[in-house]
Amino acid sequence: MKNTFSLALLHLSFCFTFFALTHISAMELHGHGANLIETTCQRTPFYNLCVSTLRSDPRSSGADVAGLARIGADKLKAKATATLRQITALLKVTKDPKLTTALRQCVDYYNAIVKYDIPEAVEAVVKGDPKFGVEGATDAANEADACGREFKNQPKFPIYGSNKAVHDLSAVVASIVQLLL
Amino acid sequence: MVDTRPFLPVSSSDGSNPSEPLANRCKTMKVLLSIFFGLLVVGLFAALLASNVTENGHGSLASSTTAKPEPLRRVSRGPAAGVSEKSNWLFGKDDENGVAFPWNNSMLSWQRTAFHFQPERNWMNDPNGPLFYKGWYHFFYQYNPHAPVWGDIVWGHAVSKDLIHWLHLPLAMVADKTYDKSGVWTGSATFLPDGKIVMLYTGSDAEAVQVQNLAYPADHSDPLLINWVKFTGNPVLVPPPGILSKDFRDPTTAWLTSEGKWRFAIGSKINKTGIALVYDTKDFITYEKLDGLLRAVDGTGMWECVDFFPVSKTEENGLDTSVNGPDVKHVMKVSLDDDKNDYYAIGTYHEKNATFIPDDPTIDVGIGLRYDYGVYYAAKTFYDQNKNRRVLWGWIKESDSEAADVKKGWASVQSIPRTILLDQKTGTHLLQWPVEEIDSLRLNSYEFNQVKVQAGSVVPLEVGPATQLDILAEFEIDKEALEKATGSNVTFSCSSSGGTVERGALGPFGLLVLADDSLSEQTPVYFYIAKGSDGNLKTFFCNDQSRSSEASDVNKQIYGSMVPVLEGENLSLRVLVDHSIIESFAQGGRTVITSRAYPTKAIYGAAKLFLFNNATEAGVSASLRIWQMNSAFIRPFPNLDNKSQ
Repeated sequence: MKNTFSLALLHLSFCFTFFALTHISAMELHGHGANLIETTCQRTPFYNLCVSTLRSDPRSSGADVAGLARIGADKLKAKATATLRQITALLKVTKDPKLTTALRQCVDYYNAIVKYDIPEAVEAVVKGDPKFGVEGATDAANEADACGREFKNQPKFPIYGSNKAVHDLSAVVASIVQLLL
Repeated sequence: MVDTRPFLPVSSSDGSNPSEPLANRCKTMKVLLSIFFGLLVVGLFAALLASNVTENGHGSLASSTTAKPEPLRRVSRGPAAGVSEKSNWLFGKDDENGVAFPWNNSMLSWQRTAFHFQPERNWMNDPNGPLFYKGWYHFFYQYNPHAPVWGDIVWGHAVSKDLIHWLHLPLAMVADKTYDKSGVWTGSATFLPDGKIVMLYTGSDAEAVQVQNLAYPADHSDPLLINWVKFTGNPVLVPPPGILSKDFRDPTTAWLTSEGKWRFAIGSKINKTGIALVYDTKDFITYEKLDGLLRAVDGTGMWECVDFFPVSKTEENGLDTSVNGPDVKHVMKVSLDDDKNDYYAIGTYHEKNATFIPDDPTIDVGIGLRYDYGVYYAAKTFYDQNKNRRVLWGWIKESDSEAADVKKGWASVQSIPRTILLDQKTGTHLLQWPVEEIDSLRLNSYEFNQVKVQAGSVVPLEVGPATQLDILAEFEIDKEALEKATGSNVTFSCSSSGGTVERGALGPFGLLVLADDSLSEQTPVYFYIAKGSDGNLKTFFCNDQSRSSEASDVNKQIYGSMVPVLEGENLSLRVLVDHSIIESFAQGGRTVITSRAYPTKAIYGAAKLFLFNNATEAGVSASLRIWQMNSAFIRPFPNLDNKSQ
């Protein structure tokens, strides 16, 4: 009885310590003495995506928040452009009429994203009227969302991954630009 | 020996381990306990370290990596600005399955307004430098000549004899100098004593620094003021020490000081405190920055489009911007970058130290009353010396998706210009009213007298086509129901209410505009009377967009605010319906709401008008006068010689 109890106490204290230590390392990763990328990304809805996207660009190490917004927008543009190409390629080979309709709608949404929303966001950040950048990036997220909805009742959603990436990254960029207001 | 086993339960049986000598058991216990406490200390120390670090308040530390397609979350505009998730782009709570609307050309072209100012295509935002000169009203505006979204901003220009019938002129200013290479941004006009005009405007320069520039008409004898010259010594002002290069824009119209100098204000911020800087000048070329600020309010963020002007306490006319005196109050207005709304405060201007003190600091600049509780931003007034009135312009942006704007090829309109006066009856509000010249658009009228609308009913109003209307209405509510209604502590607000489906004893009731026969689409403009537990009545004026369209990619918020209703006043309403824009004025313009609607069915001949009363107890009686409105035929200036650049 006594032995079991002391064993239990020991076990408990080990667990406690283990938990506290992992908690510290988690904290260190997410903000303890953190640099600008981490504190900025904490204020976006997709922390991990934000950090990995920004870190993948060498410019990010010396950038201020406006610079990070710029990097985010550039990455978003690349992703959205690639997704648009993916959609148009799929349109060429798709025989299913329902899928074709959905993809065609997405072409419209992605045209808006690539030709209007993202350039608007970049210009707003660079020229110093950030509210239009929030507008553009938020709209991009909503357009990606609208594209996703086209596949709600479809068996296949071939561009799910890229579309979600565009949506999430748009939301991240919108949140970063919001910090400039 | 001290009992080192305080946690152990009292053993009922004696001699739990008779084989182990007592001393040995104590020693083992001591060792174990010290290990436990040692680890506890380590653990606590670690926890202490961890708690010193700021927590990541945002969720999604683990972003979803599941393969199953999850519905993407709609993203709100303005997450950090206190706007709730609920109030942006919600397409109805059950409509998670709604597909974004396949807009067709018929629906999109219907959206264009008939008598509101808008350029032929592309994007517009802030009104700039409005003025009256040599028989013409001039309107300049932020314009993107290349796309229906903000960008590449230059100054558009139009003229009118009556503030309603506009004629487009060539661009007034483009981004052709280093000091405005990144954008010819907002500015204001000032009239010099000799009648000449100077324009102060913000340029975003080649390095994206915000600077102030001087421009003036190339030819003062040209009533159309087609060509403009930029001062060779520009910029005349750069951001002062302590002000960031991107926080310095939108200079106001200047006013004269008693020393004969010109004074103007310009908005900025220091951290999150919105401020208005003040400058004096004799020639609009060299400036002296005053030490103090016109006003500063914590937590309001960047102040854009500051406006500062006098209003008469006794007369019902406008005042020149330089007027001051005992019969005058001053109005300070700001556009808040953070929440995209225009706020004003009424107070006193102290010329000596160039400060503005609001009458009621609890509703100071940026935290109190708004010009308009709907979509309305970057507003600017000018003194109209032609008719001795102060006129207000406001930018009305779209509430649909940018993809739809791209499809239809344009975005944004201006509100109908409004006269603006101090509400002498309350002293706390301004009154806005569409300029009288709009009455010239009225065609045939329909009159309805004392129409009874019982609790829980809808009454159609036969007025023919219902997309271009001017509606004047008065409502009388059943007095007995007013008295009998039980009061409650619950606070009401338009934006957090359930809209017109939320029934109270004394409301909602009003008009359904842009509604189809089956009411599947409708935009209610209405009153809601709330009775407090003390028996006091509070009237709210709201505009409910939640069912304005079956499309899911449009704004579905409910706008509005409390409106003061004085003893003996009936509830009165004026509504201008012009395709996708609705401007509503309650109690003579004490509270105003502008909204955009993009119906898919209630368009062209299918759009109808109804009275409604969704209260549970009170009946109302409505008297209305409704006019069909003509188009203003806004178009390019005819036969213009190519005097432009």
